[in-house]
Amino acid sequence: MKSEDEPIRIGVFVCHCGTNIGGVLDCEGLTEYAATLPNVVFSDHNLYTCAEIGLKTIKEAIEEHNLNRVIVCSCTPRTHEPLFRSACEEAGLNKYLFSFVNIREQCSWVHMKKPEDAFEKAKDLIKMGVARATKLEALETIVVDVDPSALVIGGGISGMNAASNLSKQGFKTYLVEKEKNLGGLLNSLYRLFPNDQESSELLKDIESRIQADKNITVYTSTMITSIDGFVGNFEVEINQNGNSIRIKVGAIIVAVGATPLKPINLFGYDGKIRITQFELENVLKNYSLNANNIVMIQCVGTRNEERMYCSNFCCMSALKNALIIKEKNPDVHIAILFRDMHTPGIAYEEYYRRARESGIIFIKYSPEKPPIVEENKIKIYNEYLGTEIIIPYELLVLSTPLIANEDNKQIAQLLKVPLEENNFFLEAHVKLRPNDFATDGVYIAGSAKWPVDITESISQGYAAAARASTILSHDTLEVEGATSYLPEEYKDLCRGCEICLKLCPYKAIRKNEKDEIEIIQVLCKGCGVCGASCPKKAIKIKHFTNEQILSEIYALGGKELP
Amino acid sequence: MYYLERNSSNVLIIGAGIAGIQAALDLADMGVKVHLVEKRPCIGGKMAQLDKTFPTLDCSICILAPKLSDCYRHPNITLYTLSEVQKVDGSEGNFSVEILKHPRYIKEDVCTGCGDCAKICPVRGILNYFDANLVTLAAAYIPFPSAVPPIYLIDRKRCVYLTHGICVLCTKACDAEAIDFTQKDTIIKLNNISSIIIASGFNLIEDINPLKEYGYKKYPNVVTALEFERLICASGPQQGHLRRLSDGIDPKKIAYIQCAGSRNIKDKKYCSSICCMYTTKEAMITYEHDNEVESYVFYIDMRAGGKGFQKFLERGKAEYNINYINNKIAKIKVDENENPIIIYEDLNDGKIKELKVDLVVLATCIIPSEGNKKLADILGVDLDEYNFIKTKPFFSMETSKKGIFTCGCSHEPMDIPRSVAEASSAAARVAEIAKGR
Amino acid sequence: MNFEPKILGFLCNWCSYAGGDLAGVSRIQYPPNIRVIRVMCSGRVDPKFILSGLQVGIDGIIVMGCHHGDCHYLEGNYEAEVKFKMVKLLLSLVDLQDRIHLEWVSASEGVRFGEVVTSFTESIKKLGPSPLSGENFDQQLLEKLKAIELAAGGERLRALVASKRIIMEEGNIYGEKISQEELDEILISAIEDEFLRQQILLKLKNEPLSVKDLSQLLNIDSSVILKHIISLKARNLIDYIKIEGITPFYQKL
Ligand SMILES: Cc1cc2nc3c(=O)[nH]c(=O)nc-3n(C[C@H](O)[C@H](O)[C@H](O)COP(=O)(O)OP(=O)(O)OC[C@H]3O[C@@H](n4cnc5c(N)ncnc54)[C@H](O)[C@@H]3O)c2cc1C
Ligand SMILES: Cc1cc2nc3c(=O)[nH]c(=O)nc-3n(C[C@H](O)[C@H](O)[C@H](O)COP(=O)(O)OP(=O)(O)OC[C@H]3O[C@@H](n4cnc5c(N)ncnc54)[C@H](O)[C@@H]3O)c2cc1C
Ligand code: SF4
Ligand code: SF4
Ligand code: SF4
Repeated sequence: MKSEDEPIRIGVFVCHCGTNIGGVLDCEGLTEYAATLPNVVFSDHNLYTCAEIGLKTIKEAIEEHNLNRVIVCSCTPRTHEPLFRSACEEAGLNKYLFSFVNIREQCSWVHMKKPEDAFEKAKDLIKMGVARATKLEALETIVVDVDPSALVIGGGISGMNAASNLSKQGFKTYLVEKEKNLGGLLNSLYRLFPNDQESSELLKDIESRIQADKNITVYTSTMITSIDGFVGNFEVEINQNGNSIRIKVGAIIVAVGATPLKPINLFGYDGKIRITQFELENVLKNYSLNANNIVMIQCVGTRNEERMYCSNFCCMSALKNALIIKEKNPDVHIAILFRDMHTPGIAYEEYYRRARESGIIFIKYSPEKPPIVEENKIKIYNEYLGTEIIIPYELLVLSTPLIANEDNKQIAQLLKVPLEENNFFLEAHVKLRPNDFATDGVYIAGSAKWPVDITESISQGYAAAARASTILSHDTLEVEGATSYLPEEYKDLCRGCEICLKLCPYKAIRKNEKDEIEIIQVLCKGCGVCGASCPKKAIKIKHFTNEQILSEIYALGGKELP
Repeated sequence: MYYLERNSSNVLIIGAGIAGIQAALDLADMGVKVHLVEKRPCIGGKMAQLDKTFPTLDCSICILAPKLSDCYRHPNITLYTLSEVQKVDGSEGNFSVEILKHPRYIKEDVCTGCGDCAKICPVRGILNYFDANLVTLAAAYIPFPSAVPPIYLIDRKRCVYLTHGICVLCTKACDAEAIDFTQKDTIIKLNNISSIIIASGFNLIEDINPLKEYGYKKYPNVVTALEFERLICASGPQQGHLRRLSDGIDPKKIAYIQCAGSRNIKDKKYCSSICCMYTTKEAMITYEHDNEVESYVFYIDMRAGGKGFQKFLERGKAEYNINYINNKIAKIKVDENENPIIIYEDLNDGKIKELKVDLVVLATCIIPSEGNKKLADILGVDLDEYNFIKTKPFFSMETSKKGIFTCGCSHEPMDIPRSVAEASSAAARVAEIAKGR
Repeated sequence: MNFEPKILGFLCNWCSYAGGDLAGVSRIQYPPNIRVIRVMCSGRVDPKFILSGLQVGIDGIIVMGCHHGDCHYLEGNYEAEVKFKMVKLLLSLVDLQDRIHLEWVSASEGVRFGEVVTSFTESIKKLGPSPLSGENFDQQLLEKLKAIELAAGGERLRALVASKRIIMEEGNIYGEKISQEELDEILISAIEDEFLRQQILLKLKNEPLSVKDLSQLLNIDSSVILKHIISLKARNLIDYIKIEGITPFYQKL
């Protein structure tokens, strides 16, 4: 590694890129120009700098001319920076001492008809690049150890599958459940769509696998009390019946599920003849049903101002239970009052068709004219017929949504992860990181994120386990060197306003034991928001320091950096 | 330093859409060696073709591009483009596989992606699938400028040298000397493949059925949703400035027809799951470009169960001038100016009505990937009645055969978030086996 | 000769720089005046960068980031926007606000990238050369700009701007959520105050001056100056060093 104090020796390599650059810009001219710039001790041009032969020229020049900064003037860093960086590393130069100047996408390709202007622009870009290179610093990548173990919070169907997978991948796994038993909502269900399997059967299968697995430690009747540390090295305190236990894990999966809404004050709910779909499951379990006229109302307490969401599987639960009842007793009259039948995909649409064919009656209602529930009949306005219909019932079943657990807020605070407006957990990216949190090493699965059916809960359990495994599979974790930090010499500047701590999108900043601001290097992604915002300008953004960027600005203005 | 590397074996993934890519990246990041086979010249699948994506309206290629290059550069991923799996033997823990790789006629490690070959190539008129066949290219081409890998290829059926033995203009134009007409089909044999993931994605019904009842192909102002995605995309054929294909006029009144070809008792009985959402998305984007546009969405049931979806629809109604019509379509005809007229039964009042619009967009049915039948035969896995890969109840990543898994649209229509989650779940299952437990 | 402005662009790596790349790959032609500095996130663009750029005589500066919702770092572009707004407000005090511009350009908007650069270049051409470059160099303006830089770099404005979103979302230390409008008002008055104070400080650095002198030099009512003198003195930034007659003269400490 080259030392910091030695005089700066920059090498500049101009690429013709065939005729892509060379056809518009005078590459020899640029090479000569580069040689005139301060600190440049070597400059050269190649037909293709990225070709093997071009890379060899760079490596040889580093040796021969004892270069301690390298600049390539060619295409875009977004595709080619890794290549040139590794060439520099091979020649013993720290990869952060390499700098890129884009004279193709930024110049020759977009100013093809103005070669003279393009040439002047390329000169400016090279001048700026040289100014920046002069200020570059060698950076070390940071390495931390990873504890190959995981914590899963919540022992429902998604949490159990996540735990089972992690253990099979060879990671020690702790499964923490706040209730006495594992299983979550499935404990209360009767048969399951789409294949009418008994819920208890599905549960038994996975539970016995969990209990038999020596690599999994299950803590029931247990709550999480504190979480400290960061990816690869979390320290968690749990409390089982008053006993506090400490565990150390490398990753954490949140699978705390959700709660069925009790429709207090809605449609005359009384828990007896006007019950929820969830309560109906229990009735069916004991098969204590004696009603000949059953009406189900969908979207109760949801898809409204207060809860602007669809709970995803309630239409399916209604169809399932209606079909189960019909199967046992085809003479029972069942009407389902719905807004939109939500049965996406192949199996679910098939289920819907079966339900229609079985004689279940479907009536669409609009939220403006909801059904009116009376003592033993329901009045509903049918838009299609344009009249009101009256349907008698002995049992009214209300399909209510899953709502977020009340203690989600506490879990979120312990983990420093966000919730969305309905208090479900908020993932890092809706589309491409559906089971990650923005905070590294923490993952999310199942209904805790959003109401989903069992199939998706299981698939998300596995998905979260896979994401955790991308960390746990490594003995150590190596991270980008271009991060931000609070340098020793600036510590006095910091006045502890915690603005940086709040703004960091990755929760990489904390106050340590000494009450000092500390940026956890493994978590920092180097966006620079903290440094650009710190009122005291105490934070340094490595590889994009103020000095480096200002040197480019001053070079462009043709002035000396003060 | 990979913990797993010590005892892991190799994995094969078929299809490099977002699902295949995510599974590959997860496994590769766990230290598992992945062989990723894609039949197209570039990776990304359908997601690369989309303009923006619901429900957050972020630009599709912007969020996808970093994944594409991660996948291309990952030391644990070997990518085979223009390739197909043609033979598979063995069982869980130890499959052997034969991959047929078609030539690009351009050396992958030499091409700089400059495009000089395409400029000089005298052959024109190659329909570009990537732009939903709305654009034509030369015989030396790349499907889109930011394609990964960023390497050109030569269409073997249309290149006049390969068909008639004349030309080689590209060979002369290529300064990098990348063109190589001696390349042949090659067969790559892989042993010790512990498991396989099928991520072959989907096709759309217009690929096999001309959708006559909607006047598609007959009327220029009836387009499919995927064509529409390209038309409104800034990097698409109209640079994002939407114009009608018949006369180039900006459409002000657009109808979107849901379930075109889906939920159809005679043929595709299932629901394509994503069309309700992407239609609202397309209407919103159009409105953002031109807020004089009125949109009419003709639907049967509005299916919006995913995270943030209901809110998305409400926003569409409130802020984007989108009208939702609960209906059954009877027919589409056109007037003398090629303006489509929709004749439909309004399910809210049972009346037959007509609506004249400037443009019709069909939310067409998602169908199984074209080669699924052949692929299933080669792999020995079961298909469902429609030729989607058959999966086990509750365990959507498991196929009928041990050691072979699936994810994404190859087994059921689904959106991107679920495709990605499923891809990771398949990777998790594979990791159990790759670790020899 | 035609005026060819010098333009500086700050582009975020993930969207705008990629949009620029796409413009390149698609051979979109746009005016060659722009020089680009790549940053990882538009939220990295410290107000100081923009103000320094203007001081060294650059004619126009454009910051480009991802569209809302697209930021690779989740919300960096919102931060960029808040900071940019402050700089714009400060610059409007010296009529330089039209020389800077913020725009969202995505990775798929190659054509639009070209359009944005073209139209910004055109608008700067219309404005003419920066008063801080070339022959008509405006020394007074440079001093004012220095005061602006000090104001923008000062703890008060930086803290206010950086905590803007936090206050809007979580509420201030008293738990009150403050609306965008109210915050903007607070910000504007703080900006005006800070700008004036920095100008006073700059003047007092060189020689001791009285309130009346300052009022004349800065062309500002003496009662306003007095108010600031009192607060600067309270913060121990200035003190009087002599009294002539009954008029105190102040100097920077
Ligand atoms: C009426 C009804 C019928 C249904 N029928 C079907 C069906 O037929 N088919 C189907 O596919 N799906 C069905 N579902 C959906 C199914 O119940 C869910 O998909 C599934 O339960 C989600 O699993 P989960 O693991 O995410 O959450 P849950 O089942 O809710 O499990 C979460 C677990 O986490 C625990 N927990 C919560 N907070 C904490 C904490 N702070 N610390 C520790 N542990 C905690 C809980 O005690 C619970 O055990 C139905 C749902 C309802 C309401
Ligand atoms: C018009 C439209 C708009 C959409 N909008 C959105 C949206 O806004 N938001 C959203 O979340 N989702 C949207 N989607 C859905 C989204 O496109 C899919 O969820 C996603 O593309 C599925 O990814 P996949 O990898 O499963 O399949 P694909 O994208 O189809 O990828 C499959 C890949 O496998 C390859 N392949 C196929 N067969 C073989 C074989 N035998 N051998 C080798 N390779 C093979 C294919 O070439 C392809 O590259 C939209 C879909 C459409 C049609
Ligand atoms: S923003 Fe700056 S001053 Fe405030 S706590 Fe962070 S480092 Fe300290
Ligand atoms: S640079 Fe970005 S990720 Fe790193 S600590 Fe600062 S705000 Fe957080
Ligand atoms: S084959 Fe040659 S001419 Fe064609 S893109 Fe590649 S390098 Fe350029």
